[in-house]
Amino acid sequence: MDHRFSLGIDLGTSNSAIALSEVDGEQTDIIELTQVLGPNRIGEKPTLPSAVYIPHPDEFPEGTFPLPWRTAGSGGAIIGHFARDHGALVPDRLVTSAKSWLSNPHIDPRQRILPWNSEIKEQKLSAFDCSRFYLEHIRESFCYAMRRRGTDMALPDLQVMLTVPASFDDIARNLTAEAAEAAGFGKVILLEEPLAAFYAWTAQAGKEWRAQIRPGDIVLVCDVGGGTADFSLIAISENEGVLDLKRISVGEHILLGGDNMDLALAYALRARLEADGKSIGEMQFLALTHAAGKAKVAMFEEEALAEFPIAVPSRGASLLGGTVSTQLDRQTLEQVILEGFFARTGIADLPQKARRAGLQEFGLPYAPDPVISKHLARFLTRSLENVQASETLRSLISAEARSKPFLAPTAVLFNGGVFKAAPIRRRLLDLLAAWNEGHAVRELAGYQPDLAVAKGASFFGRNRITGKGIRIKAGASRSYYIGLETSMPAVPGFNPPLKALCVVPQGMEEGSEVRIEGRDLGLVTGQSAEFRFFSSEVRSGDAPGQIIPDAERDLLEISLLEVDLAAVEDIPAGQPVPVQINAVVTELGNLELWMKHTKSDRRWKVEFQVRTE
Amino acid sequence: MKAMRKLTVTLASILVALAGLALAPEAALTPYADVAHAVLLKAIAAAAFLLLLAIIADRPKAEPARTAAEAVNLAAPVPTGNQADAEVVNFLAILQEKGRLVDFLMDDITAYSDAQVGAAGRVLHEGCKAVLLEHFGIRPMREEGEGSKVTIPPGYAPDDYRLVGKISGEPPFTGTLVHHGWRAEWVKLPRLIGISAGRPPAIAPAEVELG
Repeated sequence: MDHRFSLGIDLGTSNSAIALSEVDGEQTDIIELTQVLGPNRIGEKPTLPSAVYIPHPDEFPEGTFPLPWRTAGSGGAIIGHFARDHGALVPDRLVTSAKSWLSNPHIDPRQRILPWNSEIKEQKLSAFDCSRFYLEHIRESFCYAMRRRGTDMALPDLQVMLTVPASFDDIARNLTAEAAEAAGFGKVILLEEPLAAFYAWTAQAGKEWRAQIRPGDIVLVCDVGGGTADFSLIAISENEGVLDLKRISVGEHILLGGDNMDLALAYALRARLEADGKSIGEMQFLALTHAAGKAKVAMFEEEALAEFPIAVPSRGASLLGGTVSTQLDRQTLEQVILEGFFARTGIADLPQKARRAGLQEFGLPYAPDPVISKHLARFLTRSLENVQASETLRSLISAEARSKPFLAPTAVLFNGGVFKAAPIRRRLLDLLAAWNEGHAVRELAGYQPDLAVAKGASFFGRNRITGKGIRIKAGASRSYYIGLETSMPAVPGFNPPLKALCVVPQGMEEGSEVRIEGRDLGLVTGQSAEFRFFSSEVRSGDAPGQIIPDAERDLLEISLLEVDLAAVEDIPAGQPVPVQINAVVTELGNLELWMKHTKSDRRWKVEFQVRTE
Repeated sequence: MKAMRKLTVTLASILVALAGLALAPEAALTPYADVAHAVLLKAIAAAAFLLLLAIIADRPKAEPARTAAEAVNLAAPVPTGNQADAEVVNFLAILQEKGRLVDFLMDDITAYSDAQVGAAGRVLHEGCKAVLLEHFGIRPMREEGEGSKVTIPPGYAPDDYRLVGKISGEPPFTGTLVHHGWRAEWVKLPRLIGISAGRPPAIAPAEVELG
């Protein structure tokens, strides 16, 4: 199959964007996405807000939202700018952050439960549905843009790179790829967002990028967007004069970002308004949050500004009589943002754990500790743990770098809107230097605040087709385990620890497979068997077939595996079939698990189920 | 269509410029600032409204559909008769939604203090400016500073200049730049589709909170 174009899709938690590169060209262009901007109003914007609005049947006249294509499966749901803005006023009908729901281990991503806690009568949506809707909208909008341009292109001409957070485990990755297929994109290639940001940086820096990094460097890709923070480390080494890049560690899924900052500022401003005897309602608080976000951007951009006026419009028609005003001063800004989210904490200062209330309501697992510095400290500490666990990774990092209690980055590549603010970038660099005994940490020049992930994905996609350019070695970002029930006599008050078998090692490369020898399992035909499934992002040394004595203590449980053995002709029903576990990471980056009959080539696919409690 | 858009641009630019002026006197604490301010604001309201009426009256009566290619691709056929009205009202609706323009102008401004007008003016300025920057590439007609000597070359576009004072002889003309003018280098308006025939769209829907 000859691909003529590489399409990069950044399916973001709060916004999505796409970029296109012609394989024979030099350029990578952002393709603006057509969407509903208001009743009877459509237009193009560089980003598509990841928001679905489910309107009430009587809310808008029929045909109010005609898109230039036929909407297939999304029913009457509206996607994009209008959905987000209007939905903020009718939160019961708005779904946002579907991507974080997709990776939530406690909720079935195919269960139609969104909008969460909503009482609407209409059909609700699953996290998977939402991802599929966004991708469908993106595909239609892309095809529409190509028709308008007069570009002759069919989907088979296209290689699609779809980015996912580095913190996604393989279950969330597989679901995203499946959503893309259901949306009509066919088979897509998955790419971790921080790696896409890194590729975007190399594309922008041109040949210069090699001058900015050197062997021995540990590059932190620090991505803080609207709703999530995502960290990765890339180690630079040299192999026969050629730079070798390897992603050595990925962070956890942290629901903390720029939106939290705007909200925190809005609370501070509301307190000030109330102290002045002015009050604002729920809906005006939304406007205040919006205004606070704008003031934040303006004041961080123009550092000479001592304060910035904030005006919250009335809800009624009397704008003159009802507008409430105050101002944001620099001290408050710095107190709330820099000291609140990027405090100068120590490297040993880790995030607070969630308080365990007796009855915990399931929802999105928002980070209970808002201090990003502490999350970063935890990530760097765990990264060292991960590197120490394997011979291969240890060989990439100097003994000196491994002698500290954490893995200290030597350079940082920023990504995400939050880092548009130079004072925040400076604070983060200061913080890293302070942890590393005052050794300065370089910022890789050429930070692109917007749309870097989509551009980087498209750019890398072109390199993947032509075989030119660098490639960061990545492979599986974590190792995976199957729980083995220990057969022991029951003893009251004693729960035997659950042992786990490593089935996928960290770093397992795309297009490879492993078979676990010597650990045959007996499966009974005509029945379905379930296994508990675990992962870890800090156990780089575990080899396939290795046994972890206490899974519940050392690993993170992410799913339930189910395998259904249909009755087989030559095996009598009820008789156990000896099988071996066969793990495959496809060329496209999907993880598949199979149970392979030891005595024949027959194999059965294992399905991932969500663990529910 | 082009002509109408241009007028709309002019209207919007003037309104925003005037709104900007409305904010300026707050800083200048002269004894007559209050009086001057109130007069100025009345003038803004009147001028803006007259302009608006002029534009609506002046619109082309028969409006061709948007480019044929687009129309073909749209799911619903576009009614052409009231499309021109609808487009103007729709743009007004955007200015109202983002910058509360209609609220600002339709209110009785005499009843409010300068501080209140200033606060509302900020909402108006921020919102309407964002709309302008999003939908139009706005640049000064002349890049020179106001008050400087400028030359208007032979073959200039007469509708890009308003010559005042003594006009005689052949271009090039030289004179003092009084106002640098504005132009829209590009226009990217949202497309209005599927509107109901017979009446223009709402400028702002009545908002009712349920629950």
